[in-house]
Amino acid sequence: MTNIEKHVEKILEHMQSPHDEREDIREELISHLEEAKQRYMSGGFDEKQAEKQALSDFGESDMIGHQLQESMYPYQRGFFHLIGIGTILFGVIFYVNLVFFLNEPIPVWWLAVQLLSGSAVTLAAINISYVGKYFYITNLLLLVNIIWNGINFAVAWSMSTWQAIFFGIYLVTLILLGAVAVIRNSYYSSEPTENLQQKRGLVLFSYVVNLLFGAAVAGISLFFLWAFLAFSGLGVYAFITVAPIILWIIAYKYQMGAIAKKPLVSLLTGLGFSLLAIAFPFAVFLMFSGRF
Amino acid sequence: MTLKMKNISFITGMVFLFLILWGAGSLAAGPDGFSGFGQSTDISPDDSELVFSYFHGDDAALYAVPVSGGKAELLAKPEEGKSYHNPKFSPDGESIAFIEQWESEERQYSQLRIFDRNSQTVKQRINTSGYVTEGAFSPDGKSLYFLKADVYKNYSPIASERPHDFDIFRMDLESGKTERITDQKAYDMSSLEVTSSGDKLMYKTYQSNDQLVFLSLKDNSKERMVPVGDFASGTPVISSPTLSPDGKSIVFSDVAAKDENGTFVYEAFRMDLETKQAEQLTNFHEHVTSPVYFHNADKLIVTINKNFAGADPEYSYWAISADGERQDRLEIKMPEADRS
Repeated sequence: MTNIEKHVEKILEHMQSPHDEREDIREELISHLEEAKQRYMSGGFDEKQAEKQALSDFGESDMIGHQLQESMYPYQRGFFHLIGIGTILFGVIFYVNLVFFLNEPIPVWWLAVQLLSGSAVTLAAINISYVGKYFYITNLLLLVNIIWNGINFAVAWSMSTWQAIFFGIYLVTLILLGAVAVIRNSYYSSEPTENLQQKRGLVLFSYVVNLLFGAAVAGISLFFLWAFLAFSGLGVYAFITVAPIILWIIAYKYQMGAIAKKPLVSLLTGLGFSLLAIAFPFAVFLMFSGRF
Repeated sequence: MTLKMKNISFITGMVFLFLILWGAGSLAAGPDGFSGFGQSTDISPDDSELVFSYFHGDDAALYAVPVSGGKAELLAKPEEGKSYHNPKFSPDGESIAFIEQWESEERQYSQLRIFDRNSQTVKQRINTSGYVTEGAFSPDGKSLYFLKADVYKNYSPIASERPHDFDIFRMDLESGKTERITDQKAYDMSSLEVTSSGDKLMYKTYQSNDQLVFLSLKDNSKERMVPVGDFASGTPVISSPTLSPDGKSIVFSDVAAKDENGTFVYEAFRMDLETKQAEQLTNFHEHVTSPVYFHNADKLIVTINKNFAGADPEYSYWAISADGERQDRLEIKMPEADRS
């Protein structure tokens, strides 16, 4: 690879452009830099010097990369960093608080999951170019993060007043940030090719409403999960309550694409699917347990 | 920094963070298991001593302390992995019946034992095929009644495992023979007591709501009653009821109010056996449970749980007058070796 190509690759590392857009930008940047190099060469520089000069005129790859990413996908990277580090920080504060000040033991696996969830989102911010390749997986990480923080919220709610308020607000903020990140990420994943401005607005609206369905499915599932855990501890049946969330997240891959093409129709099927997802474990449960 | 370096430093940093927190956490954690006082107590027939269990790392041993507080004396200590609780004095004060509980191969075991104070040994072990939860001596000291559950399971996938299919049995302390008193396979039975005349048994059971039952040993007739009063729980939750020595009142624990977190606050109530009217006795604003009457004084000892809503209970014992007035905490000093 030539120095120019390497420089451009470094710039692209900072951008979450999907494949086609990435190709376009790569071609443009390379041809721009080659042109600049040619101009210096015809001005008397030798090839190596011309290249060096063209690159230095253009600017540091980090700076250019950041600027391009921010102009095309404003605040996306910032969101991921905020959510990721916020999740990790919550883990540290909550763990230290419970173990050292309240003397209530938290299982170590909780800390591991908390740090893992935060790290996954932070790594998405660091490796932003992969977000462009794997929009759905990024959404998956964000959705899992939201649900995990939702479960934390349910736990924090039962603490003493000041702690419940502080941790509650912190978690709600993280959850809302996550929701916005998912909506924007889904929106960016849909290629803005032949869509009109109006339809773009409709697509965004549909992503928001669809996520609300998901929030309802998650809320209902988590409520039943809490009830199971409260009354009978960890058991096989408890995990059936999580099935709707899993079904919904799997279906989200198709929803993401469907909404981009036919926003309103997809909303209807999304609603229908959400209702089915909730009904499914109920049916299973009723079949398997005769008496209550 | 290259992207690869950024990733490596971040991941390494996170791993370190996790290990540091984990390490610090396990250092800060206290001794393994729960340590502290147990829930149920009993008062010696001469009103001089209180017997209770004290947990040390999830295993409980039996101790006695003067009824006004002071130094506790170890009575009986189980093997590791087993717990002694629910102690009851015999009418002559020389024996203490209690429950030995342990878990082996995922199964729960709970059996009746008798500790002899003179020989300082657990002199009798009654092994049944079921799960024994409590014992109660007859006033003449010749019989030991006990509650035995046939199964330990959950009836519904959302309930936790509990003993069920309860019945009352009687062991003749001279011959050692056991006979069955009831044949009900009750869903739940607890707080078994014998009236001072020796001819009736009192216990609490559940049949769509909590009920007190007086069972006549002569003709097997049953009298059921439910206290009437101002309870925050609607139909009363009759927790750990106990009969007064004069047989005229029953003191039990029920929901009096909800605290600011919405947790139920249990206080002691007294029910008059004639009128069935119950009135609130205590105002601790903490979880009050397991009341025990003195035999010759108008006083009771109750157990307070300061951490009702928390994972581990924090019990302490308090003396109250029979009208709920004065409240003194029993200051108990545990022997050096057994303090947590």
